[in-house]
Amino acid sequence: MDGRIKLLCMVLLSLSASFASEWQHYLTLLSLVFIALIITKLPIIALLKDMKFFAIIILIVLFTNAFNVPGDPIPGFPIERVSMQGVITGLRFAGRLITIIMVCTVVTGTTSLLTFKNVIEWYLRPVPFIPEVRIATMISLTFALIPVIFDSYTEIMNAQKSRCIELRKNPIKRVNFIVFPLLGQILRRADEIVYAMESRCYSEVRTRALFKINKLDWFILAICATSLLFVVA
Amino acid sequence: MSLLEAKNLTHVFPEGTVAIKDISLKINSGEFVIIAGANGSGKTVFIRHLNGLLVPTKGEVLINGKPIKKNITLARRKIGLIFQDSDSQIVGQTVAEDVAFGPENLNLPIAEVEKAVRESLEIVGISDLSTKSPHTLSGGQKKKLAVAGVLAMNPNIIIFDEPLAGLDYPGVVQVLRQLDELHKAGNTIILVTHELEKTLAHADRLVIFHKGELVEDGKPEDVIYCSEKYGVRMPLRNGGEIGSMTWLR
Ligand SMILES: Nc1ncnc2c1ncn2[C@@H]1O[C@H](COP(=O)(O)OP(=O)(O)OP(=O)(O)O)[C@@H](O)[C@H]1O
Ligand SMILES: [Mg+2]
Repeated sequence: MDGRIKLLCMVLLSLSASFASEWQHYLTLLSLVFIALIITKLPIIALLKDMKFFAIIILIVLFTNAFNVPGDPIPGFPIERVSMQGVITGLRFAGRLITIIMVCTVVTGTTSLLTFKNVIEWYLRPVPFIPEVRIATMISLTFALIPVIFDSYTEIMNAQKSRCIELRKNPIKRVNFIVFPLLGQILRRADEIVYAMESRCYSEVRTRALFKINKLDWFILAICATSLLFVVA
Repeated sequence: MSLLEAKNLTHVFPEGTVAIKDISLKINSGEFVIIAGANGSGKTVFIRHLNGLLVPTKGEVLINGKPIKKNITLARRKIGLIFQDSDSQIVGQTVAEDVAFGPENLNLPIAEVEKAVRESLEIVGISDLSTKSPHTLSGGQKKKLAVAGVLAMNPNIIIFDEPLAGLDYPGVVQVLRQLDELHKAGNTIILVTHELEKTLAHADRLVIFHKGELVEDGKPEDVIYCSEKYGVRMPLRNGGEIGSMTWLR
């Protein structure tokens, strides 16, 4: 599937989710997401497990709404402050959040970083005054540097541990011993990378990624657009 | 006319370190030149002048008789530089993307970029790793990736800055074989190394740097006997031969 369309679909579906208010809306959106999950063959169980963290946030949203939105008490429910309207608004917000999270999971789970970078570059092309190539390069470099920085950090930590840094009780000193060497290394690394890029003729006029949209892409886009209309109407 | 010529290169860093002093060196097409010298003798600084990464305080570099500063992109395409630290040379998230970086900079059509990537990965023999993340590769594999990234630009001079440092025996053999093959394919090779006993048999010429100056330049058998006073261990002991100084075979 074309990366540009995928990103657009993600935006459309998230928008639909934030406008959704009736249970039919959520049902349609969620079933769309589930169909996508099944088609993409992502490991559903593993993904659901990853969502545990979000479950806490969703519960908090639900509770705060239930307690704070004024309205009629629920007949037969022991806690009086919980209102009918509150629970309903809470459920709505929770539904929106769940849908948006699911949409994003499906998209990120099926798209490589490289594609993302190229798509962002493509969308920025028509925007004036924004150097899209430079931004794309920055994205790549950031992701290329993260593991390196992490490795340096572990390395420095281990080197200092083997010289008994633990015996130092002053935490500020200890942080200093980590931060300054790490910063120094990162700066030196950055210098080297600039040299390496220059020696491979870095230029901002560079080969552009090719995109190809096929019928299926248009079809999926149409579905997402329709769902937005359905929700807004 | 020589392929690559450094003329009276001097480089003084802003804080006053004289890293190289008045270095002149001519390199002919197809030569295999080893540059040796103690730590801090200016080898890395010198080779970074050859493709214009550093600008000399005095002197100039000529490629085919023309100053490189006239056409720096051409110099960088023709001269591939493989860095001492392979990690700093990696810019892509996958092996293939990293190799594509150079050709993409030249704004080649995408089909040619892909072809260059495929071919260079094949030459160094890591085609099967093309979708892996470069940071998960072994030291030897990273070196090969760096070589592939340089080959994708189709250079004819390839400079290696200490490619053997930190490699195990199979790693050294892999890199040496690569060097040998690239040389046999007609490339001019400049190799910076301390490890003469692993490499000297391949070289046509040995150059020794000492405290920023070029002190010896000649056939390996002529130069090697005075190497030790410049902090380069004389690898010949008890009548060994230069021909035996390689870890290949
Ligand atoms: N960016 C810099 N700023 C200041 N001085 C530098 C810089 N880079 C190198 N030098 C100095 O220039 C001299 C030559 O360094 P160079 O890196 O060329 O040595 P080398 O021969 O490559 O050594 P090694 O075998 O350790 O790699 C050293 O004295 C070094 O301290
Ligand atoms: Mg060096």
